[in-house]
Amino acid sequence: MNTLCKPWEHEVSRRQFLGTAAGALACGALGGLASAHAGEAMRGKEKQVLFVWLDGGMSQLESWDPKPDTQFGGPFRAIPTSIPGVHISELMPRCAKQMHRLSVVRSLCTKDNSHSAGVARIQRGDPKNRGVVYPFFGSAVAKLMGPTQSKLPPYVWIKPGSGGFITEDAGFLGPKYGSLAFGDGKPPEDLLRHASLSHEEDEERNELREMLNRRYAKRHRPAFTEASSYVFDTARELMARADIFDTSKLPAREVERYGRTQIGQHMLVARNMLEAGVRFVKVNSYGWDTHGDHFNGHVSLVRKFDRAFAAIIEDLAASGLLEHTLVVAMSEFGRTPRINGHIGRDHWPEAWSVAMAGTGLKPGSLVGATNDKGTFVKDSGHDIGALFHTWFSALGINSEKVEYNNHGQPLPVAHDEMTPIKEILA
Amino acid sequence: MQSRPSFRGGIAATLLALPLFAQAQSLPERIDFYVEAKALAAGQPLSPATGDEEFLRRVCLDFAGTLPSSEALAAFVRDPSPDKRAKALERLFEAPAFSERMAEAFNVMLMERNGENERWRSYLAEAFRAGKPWDVMAREIINPDFKEEALRGAGFFITRRLEKVGQQETDYPGLTRDTGRFFMGVDLQCCQCHKHLTVGDYKQVDFNGLFVAFQNAKLQEVSGEKKGASLAEGLLAKKYEFVSVLSGTKGETGPRVPFGVEVPIPPLAKEEQWLEAPDPKKKIPGVPRFSPLKELAERLACAENPYFARNLANRLWFLVMGRGLVEPLDLIHSENPPSHPELLDLLAAAIVEHKFNIKSILRELVHTRTYQRSSLLPEGAKETPEALFACAAERPLSAEQLMRSFLAATGESERVVESKGWEGVDGAKYGKKDFEKVFAAAFANAAKEPELSVNPTLKAALFLRNNELVLWSLKRRPGNLIDRLCALEDAGPIAEALYGSVLSRQPTPEEKAETAAFLAKHETSREKALGRYAWALLSSIEFFTNH
Repeated sequence: MNTLCKPWEHEVSRRQFLGTAAGALACGALGGLASAHAGEAMRGKEKQVLFVWLDGGMSQLESWDPKPDTQFGGPFRAIPTSIPGVHISELMPRCAKQMHRLSVVRSLCTKDNSHSAGVARIQRGDPKNRGVVYPFFGSAVAKLMGPTQSKLPPYVWIKPGSGGFITEDAGFLGPKYGSLAFGDGKPPEDLLRHASLSHEEDEERNELREMLNRRYAKRHRPAFTEASSYVFDTARELMARADIFDTSKLPAREVERYGRTQIGQHMLVARNMLEAGVRFVKVNSYGWDTHGDHFNGHVSLVRKFDRAFAAIIEDLAASGLLEHTLVVAMSEFGRTPRINGHIGRDHWPEAWSVAMAGTGLKPGSLVGATNDKGTFVKDSGHDIGALFHTWFSALGINSEKVEYNNHGQPLPVAHDEMTPIKEILA
Repeated sequence: MQSRPSFRGGIAATLLALPLFAQAQSLPERIDFYVEAKALAAGQPLSPATGDEEFLRRVCLDFAGTLPSSEALAAFVRDPSPDKRAKALERLFEAPAFSERMAEAFNVMLMERNGENERWRSYLAEAFRAGKPWDVMAREIINPDFKEEALRGAGFFITRRLEKVGQQETDYPGLTRDTGRFFMGVDLQCCQCHKHLTVGDYKQVDFNGLFVAFQNAKLQEVSGEKKGASLAEGLLAKKYEFVSVLSGTKGETGPRVPFGVEVPIPPLAKEEQWLEAPDPKKKIPGVPRFSPLKELAERLACAENPYFARNLANRLWFLVMGRGLVEPLDLIHSENPPSHPELLDLLAAAIVEHKFNIKSILRELVHTRTYQRSSLLPEGAKETPEALFACAAERPLSAEQLMRSFLAATGESERVVESKGWEGVDGAKYGKKDFEKVFAAAFANAAKEPELSVNPTLKAALFLRNNELVLWSLKRRPGNLIDRLCALEDAGPIAEALYGSVLSRQPTPEEKAETAAFLAKHETSREKALGRYAWALLSSIEFFTNH
């Protein structure tokens, strides 16, 4: 074993320092709300998930699996990372410094190469067709693990554009397991208590409503009452924690470190939500579809991602959350090694990469490889079903045993002919 | 009617009940026979019949789209005449609100919140007002006539679906799928590329026979007098070829109603092809001599296509009973039998007999004991299988039903909807459009999602708790609910007015006592406290469903 210090251990993490100091000063004196919440969530040590969805396809060649100076390698160099001997694209200098915390699979080999099929197929884990619509990963976790002790909504989705309550993700699990979407990172409408009501008045009227519902439920079918109570309970918890969704109060230095970009700001909101105890946070970034002018496009996209992703990994590690949080960053497919006539790369499900980190995984591990030109995977590739098994395993769910019960129909939670990627599991 | 004793032993019970059927003459009696025989055979006790209050609330929500006024409710309860329910139903069926409500329900069903269009809505409302048969409506929707002013609105079903969305291809498959779903109760989507994997009846040719007719039509924007979206059918000269992505098997078809016979494509000489040639300069679509849409519309929407009547039977049953005889509504096929096979046959036959008149079929359905059964579970039961219809289903209220009921209950309907009574009112003023917008945002499903089941959402919960318009309605204003309550002194009448206005029923003694205790606690701030009490009733499940 190498007993020498690793280079990264000499870096003093600003957040780590703040976190420790804040703890010593009874939370909050230095770190503000965010640090206080971090402490709170850590006490529970409950498993959480950060899922970064790069809508479209991130080029593996311009990110986790560069092939410089080869036929399809493109113009960018590869740079060393915090793992000796491992190189990634020069577009990701910050992630390179976090590499020892990441677990990267370079041998993804999936099937669909169209968007309409890709988004759903990947996020639903492509189980075998059983005539039902499978849930997205976030809905699956919401179902299998429920909210954390924080009682905050279990599945929150931070995305550009409109927000709201997205039920489609839940598939056969039903709308209850859909996502609560923060459009442009902003909280849903009507989150804050109306100005005309005091907290006590609000509670009083709500207790009255609950009493009426209990009486009604005694003589009616239970299903609707249960669903209704659930949403009202969640509304109460959300209202009580409205502070964590207020992006206007984020400190300027934090904003800067994550990048003044959409993905940067959304990642920062995601960190606060994880710290507050949201079970599953998905962050969406759009525009990863560079069929033309690919290299200029990826300079912009990958650099923004690099800054935001490295910042959140660093923060989660510093606050200790990474120990029980699974982090995944992926897209629908990779991009073709061949460069098309528009200087673009097209969709390529044959050989691409995914980056992960956190609970249940071996930090600094690298699994699988592509051939020298990056066109196909060496040995056997991993399909999305194997990733679902891996993620569930990392979260402590035995995906080869646990089943959903869809009105009496037992359904496996992940593709039943696939298994976890053992090499990457801790 | 009281709940029946439960007999065990399926077949014996059914046989026992058979003589009933021999005597059953009317359609409602025959419907009840099938429902009750099955419940009996399953040993499932039936819920009691609705009381007068529950009945009137249900039918007003169903056919007027709003709550009964507390005066109407009181008068109905007092009325001793034995045929008062039939009379109330007849009044509702003949009121102008009926056609509006049906137009609303069919708009939500057929468009699934995918955009609004005034011409389309008035087409639907006029069709229901005039009692236009469903087969005629279906033909006008599938093969729209954009030249006839009164019928143009029907074209929205197609034109909306053919609008370009970003870079996506024109959604002919979606239009094909929805046509199958709404007019035949079959979701053929999977069959675009291969035979259905789980439904043996659905073949690739069934999808493509519809698809070929639709993809032959192009969305065309017409200017001038007939300004608006129109459809231009092209010349269809040969069959459409398709390949199964699974087996590689090739097939071809001309226009064909699913499960039906292919329409031959007539060989036409060039000069015969057009009845009216298109005018590209003036952007006027032509009329081909062979119109696949016309051929399909006539063959699909008729008594000879059994799926057409069965789908309507299933969907009307769903509309008033809260669950289809076949579920899901758009998966009618031989391996997915109805909960009550003979009943679906009976209804489908009756629909043909009634010449596809929707109102007259609804009239029959609402006179059944099944429709008029209470949603209270049978005594002692914790649950009862929905598919037995032994207990009325709780049905979701649409965003529109909720908005009207909310405004009616809070006594703000006149001000908001009719813009009357604003004199001397300070502060913010809201109109119908404001309320429609926020209620739709809080309670309507996402676009293109079927709006079929009760679906409480966090969004709706937050809306009820904190939205300005909700809280605004509960402030005292001349003549509104809180104003009327404030004018009352004693807790008893206050409870009666509250429960009557919001829940359309009288409070129980226990509930009256609760109201009294609450008011006693807030003697010094009664006005605000009443607002909170009314809020609790308005956000309760009892208010939020048609139960």
